[in-house]
Amino acid sequence: MRLLETTFVALAAMVGLAATPATAQTFPERPITMIIPLGAGGSHDLNARVITSVLPGILGQPVVVQLMPGAGGQTGTAAAAQAPADGHTLIFTHNFIDQLQQFVTDLPYEPNEDFVSVARPNTAQPILVVRGDSPFATFEDLVAHGRENPGDLRFGHSGNWGAFMVPGLALMQAVEVQPTLIPYQGGGPVIQALLAGDIDFTFAFPSVLSGQDLRPLLAVGETSPVEGVPTTDELGYGDVSEIGIMHRVVLAPAGVPEDRLAVLRDAFSKLDEDPTYQTLMERLGENTDLMGGAEYDEVRGRQAERYRALVDSF
Amino acid sequence: MLDTLLAATELLLRLDVLLMICGGLVLGMLVGALPGFTTVMAMAIVLPISFFLEPIVGIPFLIGVYKGGIFGGSIPAILVNIPGTGASVATTFDGPALTRKGQSRKALEMALVASAVGDFLSSFATILVIGAIAAIALLIGPPEVAAILLLSLLVIAVTASGSPIKGLVMLLVGAFLAMIGQDPIGALARFDFGFHQLQAGIDLLPLIIGLFAIPEILLALESRKASFVEARQTRAEGDPLTWREITASRRTILRSTLIGGTIGMIPGVGQVVAAFMGYSAARNAAKDPSRYGKGELDGVAAPEAANNAVNGPTMVPLLTLGIPGDNITAILLGAFVAQGLRPGPQLFEEQGVLVYAILGSMLIACVLMLLIGWVLMPLFARIVSIDKAYLVPLMLLFAVGGTYVYRSNPMDLWFMIGFGVVGYVARKLAFDVSPLVMGFILTPPLEYAVGQTVLLARGDVAGYLVGERPITIAVLLLAPLLTAWILVRQHRRMRALGRESASKVDANAPQEGTETDGNARVDLNRSTGGQG
Repeated sequence: MRLLETTFVALAAMVGLAATPATAQTFPERPITMIIPLGAGGSHDLNARVITSVLPGILGQPVVVQLMPGAGGQTGTAAAAQAPADGHTLIFTHNFIDQLQQFVTDLPYEPNEDFVSVARPNTAQPILVVRGDSPFATFEDLVAHGRENPGDLRFGHSGNWGAFMVPGLALMQAVEVQPTLIPYQGGGPVIQALLAGDIDFTFAFPSVLSGQDLRPLLAVGETSPVEGVPTTDELGYGDVSEIGIMHRVVLAPAGVPEDRLAVLRDAFSKLDEDPTYQTLMERLGENTDLMGGAEYDEVRGRQAERYRALVDSF
Repeated sequence: MLDTLLAATELLLRLDVLLMICGGLVLGMLVGALPGFTTVMAMAIVLPISFFLEPIVGIPFLIGVYKGGIFGGSIPAILVNIPGTGASVATTFDGPALTRKGQSRKALEMALVASAVGDFLSSFATILVIGAIAAIALLIGPPEVAAILLLSLLVIAVTASGSPIKGLVMLLVGAFLAMIGQDPIGALARFDFGFHQLQAGIDLLPLIIGLFAIPEILLALESRKASFVEARQTRAEGDPLTWREITASRRTILRSTLIGGTIGMIPGVGQVVAAFMGYSAARNAAKDPSRYGKGELDGVAAPEAANNAVNGPTMVPLLTLGIPGDNITAILLGAFVAQGLRPGPQLFEEQGVLVYAILGSMLIACVLMLLIGWVLMPLFARIVSIDKAYLVPLMLLFAVGGTYVYRSNPMDLWFMIGFGVVGYVARKLAFDVSPLVMGFILTPPLEYAVGQTVLLARGDVAGYLVGERPITIAVLLLAPLLTAWILVRQHRRMRALGRESASKVDANAPQEGTETDGNARVDLNRSTGGQG
């Protein structure tokens, strides 16, 4: 019976039937919609399912995930920008959609004027990987080969201006190597291509790494999530760290009343302390490096400048 | 090995496991039957439920949703000509025609049997030779995908019915429509004619709902009959499927299973290609291909067995390498890792019993799907018996609602209406819209794979293919041979048919799996329009 009960409760929370006492004046007064500008089944979707299975308990209202994929994230982001700024519509996105896209295409919105940060629940650090039997034992080997043979290294990434192309491009520019960039449709296919030997290197998130015949050479970021693997900071490419990490962020349309924004930001702080949330995220292999909304808004400003420079140089 | 399998079976045969699979199947079928709600969406929504269940309960539950959802898509395709996904487009060739003849129950039950059998056999084969499939999957890269897609297009084109010129025109229109938006390799906007709305490209769902459902609704309005079904039986859903009809289709089901299972190793487009190839192959093998498209039971069995047979092999990269090939397996991966299980070679060694139990749950899900479907299908079949005055508005509601709910994009509604007009005009002018859909679905992956191949070759495409991709070369060489064989076969059969009708010998019923009952010859040309 317990099984059925758990199922029912979880299901009820999901479809928004969870009856919770809420007085008329409190925020939120109705279910919150969290738009994801990406498709089902991706890492954002998985993270969102965890967040939205815990957050309702904190906010006292269901949180409904609405997937709105299309045009590299623009469709969902445009819809969020047009939503009423009453705090009942949020968007769960990442820094490449949020800050980089404005430099590669015409957007129907202004990211830094139309949105304000609620929180950055976590990050994902891309790790540069080669096949287990690759001749490159270290990052230096790869760089040495790349410098001698321009265009010879095949760098497979998960999609144009996405989570692996950006750190890869920034890193290769920093070490003055010109690889051949080959797009794949997502992180799964690109790893399969690496294992098949079609490409020479790619990136993977830590959650994908274990159990594979892969050799990690370098982690993007300050500290390494994999023991014994150097980081971009340690090798002196600190510039790559800040723009190369994926920041998973929750934004609200600009103009949300201050008190409501405070409620939302506070809810994410509480989320980060929730044991269920911590356990589930750990199992998914995701970190829980929360950054507050105010602090992250400053990071966004810096990202914008750096992405402009990166795109201009390509 | 035997110990592992026995232990796995023991783990699996628990009442709560079986009940959760059943729950997943019913949920999946219902969601799959609603246009606009995709199987992936349903799985993403119920995924958190699995977080709080044991792995052996939670993951089979999701597999139930998966299998039920894929099958559910064929229900509206057969009943009201609304394919919810690309995979069920081929089912609309014969399904709705059977419904109009008052055989919706037979059609649904045939789809169920073909789906369950195709899925079961491919899953079973997958379990037996999982290592070999994993090794083959690694040999399939962009060049092979491109070659196989080319081969499929060629085969489907030469086996298609109707005017080849019309078919080619529609194929090219579909290919062009698919190119609107961004080019897949360079991510540059193209063919958007300055409209921002077109930059995102056109999605498959509004296109197929528009092309199939809207003309169906308009034609139903034009017709003066009070019922959707044209036959004069007392029961609109008709008789149940007989054992004889199932055995008559066994060759078709097996052939499609083989095709689907093989194509299942190609990531992404597998189901759509498999369904069309299965249909083409069945039509090509039939004694009288002219029956196809007019309500042939084999025409439902062929695509359904083929698209479900894809399911088995798609699980292989996930289980052996921990790599999800598509969104559905990505969600299953999420379910695994949330349980602290990381699919991959290590999991097989450390948790072999559990992995085999989960593989076994795929088989059990197929059996349960057959049982549940057998109870539910007569109920679904009865939907078409309600008065047209209610049925048509319902269809419109599902068409419009489904298009919007899919991703809440108002622009999709305009696309749906636009394609509705196109579909209606095409029907009136006897243009078959299915080549358009094929072109639309297969162009992006083909273009993507070709673009990737050029990049991978680093300048020397011919040298790269000859030197490093023997499978691609083999497939490319096979294409003209296979085409020639099909054409010769068609030619011979035409002559044979010519002789047969000349000597008026008709008493000898066809031996192959193509026979249907007598009223298969009811004239349906008026309502099936372009498919005649």
